[in-house]
Amino acid sequence: MEQNNKPVKYDLNFAREIYNLENGSYIKQCMQCGMCAISCATREIMDYSPRRLFNLIKLGKKDEVMQANTMWNCTSCCTCKARCPRGVPIIDVMHDLKKYAIQNGYADYPQAAFYKAFWAEVAGRGKVFEGGVTARYYLLRGLDEVKKAMAMKDVGLKMLKHKRMPLFPPKKIKGLGNLKKIIKKAQEIERREAR
Amino acid sequence: MMKYSLYPGCSMEATAQANLKSIIAVAKALDLHLEEIPDWNCCGATVASGVVGDFTQQVMTARNLAIAEAKGLDVVVGCSSCYLSLAVTNKRFKEDEHFKAKANEALAAGGYKYDGSLRVRQFLEVVINDVGFDKIKARVKKPLAGLKVAGYVGCQTVRAIPYEFDDPEYPVQMDKLMEALGATATKFPMKARCCGSSNAIAATEIVIDQAYKIFESASEGGADVIATPCPMCQLNLDAYEQMVNQKYGTNFSLPILFFTQLMAVAFDLPADAQALSYCINSPYQALASYGVAR
Ligand code: SF4
Ligand code: SF4
Repeated sequence: MEQNNKPVKYDLNFAREIYNLENGSYIKQCMQCGMCAISCATREIMDYSPRRLFNLIKLGKKDEVMQANTMWNCTSCCTCKARCPRGVPIIDVMHDLKKYAIQNGYADYPQAAFYKAFWAEVAGRGKVFEGGVTARYYLLRGLDEVKKAMAMKDVGLKMLKHKRMPLFPPKKIKGLGNLKKIIKKAQEIERREAR
Repeated sequence: MMKYSLYPGCSMEATAQANLKSIIAVAKALDLHLEEIPDWNCCGATVASGVVGDFTQQVMTARNLAIAEAKGLDVVVGCSSCYLSLAVTNKRFKEDEHFKAKANEALAAGGYKYDGSLRVRQFLEVVINDVGFDKIKARVKKPLAGLKVAGYVGCQTVRAIPYEFDDPEYPVQMDKLMEALGATATKFPMKARCCGSSNAIAATEIVIDQAYKIFESASEGGADVIATPCPMCQLNLDAYEQMVNQKYGTNFSLPILFFTQLMAVAFDLPADAQALSYCINSPYQALASYGVAR
């Protein structure tokens, strides 16, 4: 059998950047046991299980990690976090990876558009209005999604019929100005701490 | 009378009004007084932190706790995603001084401060621990005898803070509550499986595939209805049941109810408290013997 003797390329910069994210340093605790992989609700449709993703991060495989659908298919179900024998808060690491992916232009997955749409609603109103999130989502995703939207028509109509889909958004919260100030401050503090 | 602050969360004002209506009515029937937190804001769910990071999301969540602290009452939450946000944030305020100082620095920019003095609790846990099964049994007017319920606890309810009030791997408290109402809790191995959560719009397939496993498990156990504490679980199962049937060639027609709706039925509360008309998959047939009104 032919041996692959190519030396593994370590991009330590990438690993270091990830370890510097809010929950990134926990990745170093991972002992590759695989508990998260067998526990994960959506493992079947992930490019890599959390275990493999963490290994790729250690190896500095930036493109593989950032282009993976793993974090986007994570549903934040907490199963892995509750089970990880090394106490890695895997779902929080996934949040960091999503944020890092969006900031670094790896945001092609539809979930990334949904996340951005959701955040725009929260930041602009203080509350989430599903109609607003959906509209923003389709704006971000463009015409490609229209076909899919048509397939969902029945679901939407049924929701309307059973008063599950208000057509008008909730009022903005009164403290929206203050909320914006604390969000801005929180982001400053986070940047300060990351240094 | 026991008093609490209530954090309804965005979904209870929109897709899950049945949850809010039944929680308020059931609380009243059990002599629990809930006061809505004034001018509360969205907790960010599990989505905001994927854009702005955990710290900013937790500070945003803490604004609600800071407002609630003025009254000093435990904060009651229905939605399991809101619970995850609020309870985890609250825990950090209590256990991590460095975080607390930083978070208060951010909160101060809006004129808020949180000391970490409150408890964040799920309505399910409050009903079980503060009221108790005996009192609940005593309040039942129409026992749900013969009703087979799959108690769908879902993921974050028991895993946000593991072992806080139930086993995160095999939760049993909701089943016990159903038995206290006179119903039979069915065997349901998928009771703590994830529903696919916020992927409904962007990756509908995830929700459909998760929902299939959950419906399959519930119907193998012979359930007549599925009961859940979570607005997201309720909506994902209720709205996509027919798409599951289309994709998998199945024939599921299980109604999905909030556990509080079943409590309202067993307590014989008015139709508005039962809020059954919000169910997309009709529960009227399954509940016909308990005198539910349309
Ligand atoms: S369960 Fe924890 S230690 Fe095990 S592979 Fe996953 S992250 Fe690593
Ligand atoms: S939290 Fe995410 S990674 Fe962990 S088990 Fe759930 S879906 Fe998988």
